[in-house]
Amino acid sequence: MDMASTDMTADTDRSLYLDEKLAQVQEKDFLKYRSPDLPTWCPGCGYFGIMDAFYKACRELDLPHENICAVSGIGCSGRTPIFINSYGFHTLHGRSIPVATGLKLAREDLTVFAMAGDGDALGIGGGHLPHAARKNIDITFILFDNAIYGLTKGQSSSTTPYEMKTNSHPVGNPDTPLNPIKLALAYGSSFVARGYAGDPEGMKAIIKAGTLHKGFSFIQILTPCVTFDKANRTWKALKENVCCLNLHLPAPDNMESAMRAAENEPYGVGIFFQDKVRPSYQDTLRMLNA
Amino acid sequence: MKISDRQMNIVIEICGSAGEGTISAGEIFSRFMSAQGFEIMSFDAYPAEIRGFGKCVAHTRVSSTPIYSPGKLADVLIALNDNHAISQLSALKKDGILIYDNQPPKPHEEDKSVVAQADAETISYGVPLTMLAQKAAGNARGRNMVALGAVTALFHLDRDAFTDSIKERYGKKKQIVIDANVNSFLEGFDWTKEHIDKTDDISFEGLTRPGTPAQQTKEKLIINGNQLVAKAALDADLKFYAGYPITPATKIMEILSKELPKHGGALLQTEDEISAIGAVIGAGYGGIRAMTGTSGPGFALMTEFTGLSVMAEVPAVIIDSQRGGPSTGIPTKTEQSDFNAAVFGGTGDCPRVVLAPTDTQSCYDATVLALYIAEKYQTLVVLLLDFFLSNSIRNIDAPQKPAQKMLNANIAPDAADLTDYQRYKITDSGISPRTIPGTPDGMFFATGLEHDALGRPNYTDKGHLAMTAKRFRKHAGVLNEAPAPVISGLDGSSAGTDTKMSDYSGTKKMVDIGVISWGSSAGAAHEAVMTAAGEGITGAAFSSMMLSPFPENDLAAFADRCKKILIPELNYTGQFADFVTKIIQRPVERLTFITGRPMAAEDIVEKMREM
Repeated sequence: MDMASTDMTADTDRSLYLDEKLAQVQEKDFLKYRSPDLPTWCPGCGYFGIMDAFYKACRELDLPHENICAVSGIGCSGRTPIFINSYGFHTLHGRSIPVATGLKLAREDLTVFAMAGDGDALGIGGGHLPHAARKNIDITFILFDNAIYGLTKGQSSSTTPYEMKTNSHPVGNPDTPLNPIKLALAYGSSFVARGYAGDPEGMKAIIKAGTLHKGFSFIQILTPCVTFDKANRTWKALKENVCCLNLHLPAPDNMESAMRAAENEPYGVGIFFQDKVRPSYQDTLRMLNA
Repeated sequence: MKISDRQMNIVIEICGSAGEGTISAGEIFSRFMSAQGFEIMSFDAYPAEIRGFGKCVAHTRVSSTPIYSPGKLADVLIALNDNHAISQLSALKKDGILIYDNQPPKPHEEDKSVVAQADAETISYGVPLTMLAQKAAGNARGRNMVALGAVTALFHLDRDAFTDSIKERYGKKKQIVIDANVNSFLEGFDWTKEHIDKTDDISFEGLTRPGTPAQQTKEKLIINGNQLVAKAALDADLKFYAGYPITPATKIMEILSKELPKHGGALLQTEDEISAIGAVIGAGYGGIRAMTGTSGPGFALMTEFTGLSVMAEVPAVIIDSQRGGPSTGIPTKTEQSDFNAAVFGGTGDCPRVVLAPTDTQSCYDATVLALYIAEKYQTLVVLLLDFFLSNSIRNIDAPQKPAQKMLNANIAPDAADLTDYQRYKITDSGISPRTIPGTPDGMFFATGLEHDALGRPNYTDKGHLAMTAKRFRKHAGVLNEAPAPVISGLDGSSAGTDTKMSDYSGTKKMVDIGVISWGSSAGAAHEAVMTAAGEGITGAAFSSMMLSPFPENDLAAFADRCKKILIPELNYTGQFADFVTKIIQRPVERLTFITGRPMAAEDIVEKMREM
């Protein structure tokens, strides 16, 4: 269409066209999955990107709002369900997985997400992850990994690098960080992936795949904390280092290559591992009780 | 005396090593006595170790009249193992009966045998338990059955009916096992008939269960508290149970693991108790009835989640079967020392509901009520059992299934509520209509943060006050629906009848001593008041299943009618006495035990005499 046209008919046509397109955009608008509440995160936080990808994934999967339930723990990531137009449950520090597990077992018809930060999921709640994974509970777990305790203002977390200076370790973190992907694989997660907060399309694809996966889906998202980490996991560092996974995969369910990639590609994003055959917890129960 | 006027009320204890069949013998005996039409209450004491020769005691009270407590001292002690039985002699009445092995495999040094250690007044019957078992089956395993044969002969029980009971008990085993047990029993019976010169006066001949002919023939359920809680939960539409193994609550999980799938539900064995209560709260948020069970150490972990249930207004039920504490404590002994933890434990102003059944039968009603209150009032309910209630076996009338009203308790929003739905709307009752996920117009966000009517975080002083007050208002409704406290003896004449405070509004008579109790101590308290009445002490008993909120008005009215107050309980400091004192604002007498044994009516009576 000639946008410069001043012709009346063309104007009307254009107006109609725009109305139609707008209606289509609104119809498909992933923003419908956003709640009216404005996020409380710091400007520049990677979580905005994660949520953008999350909304788009929900839109593309066409999930009915009322059948989504986002369960979170405590920390910056804990607030996430407030910003989703769905059912949400902001629980206790480290406990999103147990609550999400109970909810999914009670209501198999719901799409249940559990969301947690690195301190929440791997520190205080670290005892729950192995069991949701080995039971293969059909929930999608998203780890908002910024390698720091943000809401309490900058203490070392379970993924803070060795020797990094934080408010709890001013001369350097004495602890060796955990490798979340290796843990998720070792615990027996049937879907393991990593995304990057600056890559909305990649995150969207991973969240979609994880949501469709029947079983426990573990998704680590690398994201900066722009306020309390000016040195390590910054946008700049992530941008320079993040790359697509170079798995040389014989098959998506090859544990050996997934483990190798988890060890050697700390910034590789993509799907590390997926076992599509293994029955979910509820399918197993049905099988055993049949 | 005519036979039909005769009453028989005795306590029999079987004492042996773990693995000797002590507990099974006790179980067979109580089942048989129940089938014969007697009231039974039995209770086993065993070590925390599965094997390893620890001391086991199977304690059974058998009566032709109603039973309220397990009884403190035994009338009969059956010694399967002399070493252990010697330490059990202190629980045998001075003039009680001792049945012992008079030809043990290894002869005892003279003063190391149980018969040598027994009181001079004790009636001792020596039966060659080991020898007869050897004779019957070629090994000593059937000593417990030989002993039961001796009991059957001595106390004039029905030999053939008892034989059938043994066959029934071992019915699924190989024929050789059934034969060994039956033959051992018969050897014991015949030998005793022939050789023992009976000098005691215990006889069950011609006696039957109390009550009308219809009550007498009604089949009784032989069941313990854990089994009854599981049964009640299934009847009350429980659909999810999450748990972590812990004595004495594990059995509830095991029963439900088997039964829930048949009822369209699921069981989740979790990695810890935090996860168990978390999953229960998740399931409760999802709109189904969910419950978990634990004991002290697990309850300590669950306390983390109790505030969330109250704050986010999500139904949850926790069973805490109390054992000796604190910390790991004494896993296989009974205590009532989690009162403070259940009623006050946790942080913040946190109005939970706490219920404690007072006997085996009331475990059923309390469980149904707990699930109902949790769902309707959208809150946490703690059900306090104890080791004794969990494991003590009674024969009871089959409980009545819960009414429909008890099964569908969620107050859902109507169409008007759903326009601009406010999940945490401030209401007079404190209950805000609740949607469950899947309802399109009812989406909401739940949080443990203080929040406004929509559930959005809100930390204003006015908001916090309004929401806290709203949550506390639920207590009034709960108390209104709760069963009234059980009172006996307040008019000096009706001891033993279960009555309510309002039944006494016509009289103003004072009694000497009011006994206020809770949980499994209540039976002993009511029984003590009856016994004391026979000695001229006027007493009355008050017990409430509802501990939080507590029926304070009834308690105050009851206390006003008592010259003195006595509070018996199974903890060191008198946690419940502290609680009651705060309400009635006057001094009380405390009677506290941490012996690991259930409350005994005899001890309460003794204390009443001293007062």
